[in-house]
Order: sequence, then C-alpha cells, then structure tokens
Amino acid sequence: MIERKIKKGRSLWQDGLRRLWRRKLVMVCFAVIVLYFLLTGFIYSAELFGWKVGPTQWQESVGKSYEPPGRENIFGTDIFGQSVLRKMLYGTKTSITVALCASLISLLIGVPLGAIAGYFRGFVDEIIVWVYSTLSSIPYILLILAFAVVLHDKSLFGHKLTGITTVYLAIGLTSWVGICRLIRGEVMKHKEREYVLAAKSYGCSNSRIIFKHLLPNVFHLVIIDFSLRFVSFIHAEVILSFLGLGEAERPSWGAMINDARIELSRGVWWQMAAATIAIFLISLALNIFGDALRDSLDPKLRVQ
Amino acid sequence: MKNTSNMNRNTENTNGYLLKVEDLKTWFAIKKGLLRRTAGFIKAVDGVSFNIKRGQTLGLVGESGCGKTTVARSIVRLVPATAGKVIFEGIDVLSADKSESKELHRQISLVFQDPFSSLNPRMTIGNIVGEPLKVQMGITGSELTERVAVLLAKAGLSSDYINRYPHEFSGGQRQRIGVARALVTEPKLVICDEPVSALDVSIQSQILNLLKDLQDEFGLTFLFIAHDLTVVEFFCDITAVMYMGRIVEQAESEELYRNPMHPYTRALMSAIPRVDRSSAKGAFGGEVPSILNPPSGCPFHPRCPLAEGECLKQMPALKEKGGHEGQGHFVACWKC
Repeated sequence: MIERKIKKGRSLWQDGLRRLWRRKLVMVCFAVIVLYFLLTGFIYSAELFGWKVGPTQWQESVGKSYEPPGRENIFGTDIFGQSVLRKMLYGTKTSITVALCASLISLLIGVPLGAIAGYFRGFVDEIIVWVYSTLSSIPYILLILAFAVVLHDKSLFGHKLTGITTVYLAIGLTSWVGICRLIRGEVMKHKEREYVLAAKSYGCSNSRIIFKHLLPNVFHLVIIDFSLRFVSFIHAEVILSFLGLGEAERPSWGAMINDARIELSRGVWWQMAAATIAIFLISLALNIFGDALRDSLDPKLRVQ
Repeated sequence: MKNTSNMNRNTENTNGYLLKVEDLKTWFAIKKGLLRRTAGFIKAVDGVSFNIKRGQTLGLVGESGCGKTTVARSIVRLVPATAGKVIFEGIDVLSADKSESKELHRQISLVFQDPFSSLNPRMTIGNIVGEPLKVQMGITGSELTERVAVLLAKAGLSSDYINRYPHEFSGGQRQRIGVARALVTEPKLVICDEPVSALDVSIQSQILNLLKDLQDEFGLTFLFIAHDLTVVEFFCDITAVMYMGRIVEQAESEELYRNPMHPYTRALMSAIPRVDRSSAKGAFGGEVPSILNPPSGCPFHPRCPLAEGECLKQMPALKEKGGHEGQGHFVACWKC
C-alpha cells in the first residue's frame, strides 16, 4: 500500500495534450500542419544552400504556355510555361512565413499590453483601451492597406522592407486588438482570484504576479488564439497579394489567384484550383486543430 | 540590528497585544458620470476597533456583506484603508515603509475561504507552499523542498504530494495546502477568512482541529472570520459580532454565548439550529438595509424589536456593559 516513490503530478497542460493525442482526426490535422511547416523549412534551407529542387526552381519553364494538368505537370503550367505545382509549393513558404511572423508580432504586442492594462487598470488601462478602440474602429482591410502602402519600400534598421516583410508587419501591427482585449479581460478576472490575493499578501512583486501567476493561467488562450489567428493571417496574406500589395517577385497563393482571375474566363482553371486546394487544406486543418485545442486546454470545458 | 532593538521596545509597549486595530475605516468611493466624480461612499468598514493578545483567537462574525472580509483585507493592505490605525507589534501597518512591509508580509499570513480558487492551478504544491519562502527569503533548492515537506507533514499531508497539482486534490486537502502555505514563513498572526465555510461539515472539524493543533505548536495568534456561530464558539477566545461595518457586541466567547445582550446577537444565537427546539424563536424578518443608504441612528433599528426614540437618531457607541464590570463585555446598543 505504501508507495515511497514520489509521484509526478500531471499539470493541466499535460492533461490537455493527452486528451488531444487520443483524437485521431485532430492528429491528422496536426500532421497536415506539420507538413506545411516542414515544406516551408525545406524551401528555406534549399534557398540557403542552393539546392536545385522542385519548388525553388519555379522560374524554370517546363513546357508550353497553359498546358492543362497531365502526367508531366500535375497542375499544368501558367502563361510562362512555369509549373503551377512548383508555384503552389513555393507559395506555402510565403504564406506560412507571413502568418507566423504576423502572429508572433501581434501576440507580442497584444499579450503584454492586455496583461498590463488588466492588471494595473487606471490611467495605463485607459490609454491602452483608447488605442485599441481607435484601431479597431478603422475598417480592417483599409488599415492593413494603409500600413502596407506606408511600409512599402521603406527601410527599417537598414533593411529594405520588401514584399513579404511589408505584409507581415502590416498584418501584425494592426491585428493585436482581439488578443489584447481577451487577455485584459481574463487578467481582470484572475487578479481578483484568491490565489493572486494570496501572492500579494506574502509580498510577491507585481512582475512576479503577472509572469508567474497570471500569464500561465491565461496562456492557453494565447495558444488557442494563435492557432485560429494563423488561419486568418493566411487569408489576409492571400487578400493582400491578390490586391497587389504582397509579394511581387516570388509566387504566392494570392498572386496565383490574381493571375487566375483573367485566365478563368479562358477556361484555364488549374492555377486557381491549385492555390485554392493549398489554402483549403491548411485552413481546414488549422480550424479543426484550433477547436480541439480549445476543447482540451480550456479548464472550463474540461471533461473528466 | 538597530531595527530589531527598536522593534523589541515597541513590542513591550503594546502590553501583550499582538494586533491593535483602532477605529479602522475602509470606504469605497462610488464614481459616477463621465468625469468619474465621487458620488458617495460605501462604508464597508466604518470604525472597527479590537485588540488581539498573543496566542489568542478573536472571532469576527456577522452575515454576508457586513465587512468582515474587508477588515481582514485592510489589515494586510490588500484593500487600502481610509482611516484608522492598525498596530502590529509596534509597526504602524497602514503607513509601513519598505522594510517594515517585508516584515509584515512574513509575520501576517492569510488562509482563504475557497480552497479551489486560492491555489494557483498551474503551480505544483511544492511551488505553491514554497513561494512565500522564495519571495521573502530567497530560499531555493533542497532547503526549500525540505521546509515545504516539513510543513506539508505538519498540515497532515504526505510530502510525496510535492510535485502534484491542485486539481488532483479534494477540497479538504486543498485547504490543508492553504494552511501549509500560510504557515511556511512562521508567521505570528494568521488571518483565517472563513477557512471552513466552503467545506463539508465532516471536513470542517478536521481543518479546525488542525488549526488548533498548529496554534498550540507554534503559538499562533488567529483572527478568525466566520459566519457560523457554532464554529466560532468552539474555536475563539473572544468573539466580536459585526453588523453593517461596525462591531455591535464583543465579549469572551463563553460570556457572549451565555449572555448575548445586543438584539442582533440574540437573534443570531436563536437562529442556531438546536435539537431541543423546533423553530427559531426571536429571529426576525427583514433585510440588511442598503449600505449605500444606511439608516439614521443605530443601523440595526429598522429590524430591531426594541428600537425607539434614541435608536432612530444617534449611533450608539461600543461600551462596556453587563453585570460584571471589567469582564470585557462590550455592546453598542441604547437599550441594553
């Protein structure tokens, strides 16, 4: 009966991830997401080391103009005879990079601001709320467009802001409002909880309370938000590229759809199809995975 | 060194009292309108005074919303007090400087009501109980683990639990963890804010016995807040009854329970269910008046069966009354 070994407890995180692991469909989605990321990493390293493999050789002409999908070119060719499949694969890099960088930027702005506003309240809170209310009162696309136009071809810390950088800066800097609001509300709720009062009563500093007590308790929301935010940023990149504000020199799904707009009337559907399938798969996988994350990490939805 | 001797002198001056609370007032401003002008005050605590001797337990009872918890939180400065004085071992708590604050954080600790929200769900038991030591004295590593294990054992928990998380425990076990956290810094005063009211009756007595044992072992002084009179009768040396932010009656527990004088206290006593009595006699109807708009004179007069004349006009002060002078039975009532 007496067990002398000290048992390791299971944290809510481990608990949640275990439940996630048991769901097959979710794991399939996770595998799809990982695949996209691996592909992105592969293209980056291929460019870095100068490997001559499929996606990086998208500029190479592989056939005549507008060849329909066939044995040689699975998704056919575009107007220049370039492989649509290669462009689609290369577009993954553009999309994932933009979505990842934009998500990180917006979370790095939104989470600390939300935590500070919710914890300290008062004057600081009012300023932060004022800023995000103003930001969110401007139509989203208009704001991104404005940022993209302003940032376009400017330089930052000596780096010229080209295509992709402009896009993720524009998206990241404008879309931290949602997570900021969410974290602010959650922190306001948690800071009245007795465990925070206890921490104050034995003399924890404010920064310790925020970092050791409050943020770990709202961090599952950040993870969930990240997974859902990622999808919307992939879409945002597509829209920006479609509008001609995105990556101009390299393939992206948005640019492909933009090209396909005119081609479609001539019966050339394969470029549109390739871009749409790529977007559809990652969106679906991220949405299902994000919902599953919410189900398993939110303690309120916790089922025994 | 200089600080310590200074403190010792002050300790002698306080005549065996560990904590003195004098005319404590905690008011919350009600802000209205665009300009956030102060439209009035909620007088959650309105002139509360009491003293606690070393090793004693003072019980603070009253119905919900009467300001018990606010008194506790004002003493540890979780809520800023509006006026009054709190003296702990010669330290003026409400105007304490940094080094005094540090001392106070160590010497006064809290046990909370809800064992489910008082423990951080993302921290292990070892970290929860050990954090006060880490924050206040910078103790880490194996010394920390050792001290935490000792405290867990004292609180009746296995030291094997050190790597577990709060959600793996029952309510009673969680409250034991809360008690262990409160005692880990070896405080002199422990403020228990309804430590058993969220627990099953069978668990309540376990926790109360644990607190009593720890009091004997460490010579603790308790400020014990409760709304359950039977719990207070068992646990406290002195009982103070609060109503709408004031103490209306205070006496040694035995005396108070044998001879309640204030009509409010009497009504509370008669509301204790007893086997030999079918219905609660002397209980009264009515609601607690709005604290935003308190009644004139004695705040209890709208519900009081004895209220007349003076009661409606003037606030009665807390005065020593009763047959035996010097027994320390204080009542705030015009009629008794």
